[in-house]
Amino acid sequence: MRINSTGVEKFYNNAQQRVLNLFPNKVCKGTGAINFFKSTGENISSAEQRLILGASALMSQPFIDANNKNVDEKTRKVSVARTIAKIIAGTTTGFIIRKGCISAIKALSKPNAAGVPKYKTFFTPNVVKQTNTDAFMQYRNAMGTIVALVVMMFTNFAIDAPLTRYLTNNLVKKQEDKDVSVK
Amino acid sequence: MSALNNLFSNFKNALYKNYGENPGKMLVHTGVLGWVLSSLAQVSAIVFNDKISTEQKSFLIPQEIADAGVNILSFYLITSSFKRVASKLVKTGKLSTKPIREFLSKNGLNSPKYIGNRKFNIENLANFQDIKSEYRPFKNGVDVVASTVGSIISCNIVTPVLRNEYAAKKQKQALAKMHENEQKIVYPKGVSISDYQKLSAMKYSNSGYLKI
Repeated sequence: MRINSTGVEKFYNNAQQRVLNLFPNKVCKGTGAINFFKSTGENISSAEQRLILGASALMSQPFIDANNKNVDEKTRKVSVARTIAKIIAGTTTGFIIRKGCISAIKALSKPNAAGVPKYKTFFTPNVVKQTNTDAFMQYRNAMGTIVALVVMMFTNFAIDAPLTRYLTNNLVKKQEDKDVSVK
Repeated sequence: MSALNNLFSNFKNALYKNYGENPGKMLVHTGVLGWVLSSLAQVSAIVFNDKISTEQKSFLIPQEIADAGVNILSFYLITSSFKRVASKLVKTGKLSTKPIREFLSKNGLNSPKYIGNRKFNIENLANFQDIKSEYRPFKNGVDVVASTVGSIISCNIVTPVLRNEYAAKKQKQALAKMHENEQKIVYPKGVSISDYQKLSAMKYSNSGYLKI
């Protein structure tokens, strides 16, 4: 069957316009709103995003698992414990490693200038002329995040997984002790 | 060695060009990669945890695999959609700041013909440089907020609900299979279960103790 690309494109364009039409015209006039967006773009890197995701995950995921009526009670309790453990372990290591790697990249991406040791410009792209721009800050965040992902390929196994396992077992044990004392 | 240097240099330049002015895109891309890697570790954590019973593993392993699959999908479908819509709102001037709107008015573009029209893009204007310093940080901020809200919705609400549905279905299938195998055990005719157990114990136990 041949797909009519013009038809698909037309459908996509119409859908895109309809979605845009759903939103009202909004001009941010207050300095608060404008500053919020600007500082968010400048200051929220993947590390802060991981922290926000982790905090909001703790507020939603355990409750979703606790209300999962498709499984028996014991499995549900282990599932809740594992979810909490996974969020705590993942968020803590994820945030620390991302933040650490972004800081390391900042230290190793200094401007190419006289008197700056070569190793301190190891991550500086040669197309960059100015290092005090927002684009360069974002580049540092991106490079730091990618390096962090490589580091996390090892720490996921070396720290995350055993920590999740340790926390899960502790949380399950606490729950079992609580159940015994109630009986 | 110089080929490797060139490769690394090209990688740095590409990263700078692609993500330097688009942090929202970077958050979506690295988020997907991060979920893939962490899910791999989480699955192996369950597989090698001997304190979790086989029955619970039959639920938790598919739960984790579903978590990874749904996360990646929801990241692309929800997070990048949020980011795309937010980007488009800013690019078409529908969501803007006072200086951006004044810039559009000055250029005769502050009308419904342009504002909110998907074909209109402030970034393509000939004198875009005049507003770039005001526009770019605002757009980056909107992109980052949209990506973050999208990822909260996809990872913390949509994913847990969907993965639980999927994992419960998988657990039921796994348990049904386990019970099916149990029913297939055929005891020798004319021998009671206890006699059969004693015979097995004698046959397979070196020390003579019942091992079943």
